[in-house]
Amino acid sequence: MKQDDHYSEEQLNALVDGELDPEEKSRFYNETERSPDLDQRLCHQRKLKELVKHAYENVPTPLRANRTPLGRGGFFGRMLAAVILLVVGLTAGFLAHNYLNQFGADSNGPATVDTADVSEFFILHVTSGAPERMQAALRHASALLDGAEQGGQRRVEIIVNERGIDLLRADVTPYSQEIAVLQANDVVFYACSKTIERLENRGVRVQLVPHTNTEYTALDRVVSRMQDGWTYERI
Amino acid sequence: MAASMTFGISRRRAFRKLVGNSRDRLYRMAYAWTHDPHLADDLVQQALCKALSNQRQLKDPSAAEAWLFRILSNCLKDYYRARREVLTDEELVIVDNRTPERETEEQLLVGKVRHAVARLPLPQRQVITLVDLEGFTYASVAEILEIPVGTVMSRLCRGRRALREFLTDIRPQQYRTTNLKRVQ
Repeated sequence: MKQDDHYSEEQLNALVDGELDPEEKSRFYNETERSPDLDQRLCHQRKLKELVKHAYENVPTPLRANRTPLGRGGFFGRMLAAVILLVVGLTAGFLAHNYLNQFGADSNGPATVDTADVSEFFILHVTSGAPERMQAALRHASALLDGAEQGGQRRVEIIVNERGIDLLRADVTPYSQEIAVLQANDVVFYACSKTIERLENRGVRVQLVPHTNTEYTALDRVVSRMQDGWTYERI
Repeated sequence: MAASMTFGISRRRAFRKLVGNSRDRLYRMAYAWTHDPHLADDLVQQALCKALSNQRQLKDPSAAEAWLFRILSNCLKDYYRARREVLTDEELVIVDNRTPERETEEQLLVGKVRHAVARLPLPQRQVITLVDLEGFTYASVAEILEIPVGTVMSRLCRGRRALREFLTDIRPQQYRTTNLKRVQ
């Protein structure tokens, strides 16, 4: 192939990618005036760059489902969830007397937690199905609530995906009571719908513990919460 | 002290804004690297998650964009590592079942080019897309991919040469959908 060998392909790339300084550029352009072959090579290289750019100009961004609380039945579903939560919460209260007053003051359930007076926000992310990790997450959530400063309030969410989904699977989790106690204290639990979908595609039926919310992807919620300034902790 | 606290808060806010604004660009890059919308979305979310939790590690705010893309690249590496792929970087190519014939006429060109980019080994694909789609300098690409600038230049060179060949001669072939395969 007949080429102007004064300029390598690397140099040609450097020119089209804006890596040459003005002096080098001028020298190059002067050379293209004298050499139609070099001019053509430059043209091809630019075209290639433009083609690649053009090919990815309109990559459709993935559709993200809106946050959907598990109360799929809309208003009545949420009402029912709130009533059930109240009953579960009161029962759980016997196991955790120090939480009773707080729960009694707010019986709306996790989906309607009032955050007006909350000063600190935490999102705990569980990806492991190991019992000790699950337990650590629940204990940590409890410790966070207990550790709120005098007069301050903390809001805690626990979100699970991958193997961590077992924490919220009604027929698998060994911690349903602990979860109910935390729910009674406004800790909100989220399960990743994508993980559930994957399990169900493999023939695994997934039933979540009551009052668990779902998020299309767990990480989406984590990112969104962190953007809102929440503290993220992966357990 | 109050002034430095205010500065810290506004810096964090600015960073979170940058992260939010970069999301679509990171997705486009992840898509160009993997050609798998679901994987690309997962990678971007992981990258954003890591970026937000490690934002204190970012010393120079002006380098935030390159830093985000480096995290994205590392997430992709982790993904392949987790899958215990025995393939080397050079062997990683994407194959998909879209052939130019299946594309509508207006998408033909775009399909052809994406098809060609997908055939490049991952390291070449990453360099080309970082330079061409995001306009990163060679030095930034070197930083993002943690490789020397000379390697950026040689990968770019080999990648573009291969692209030219692919684009002049694309024949329909039956490919599997977005899988990795070993190139013989």
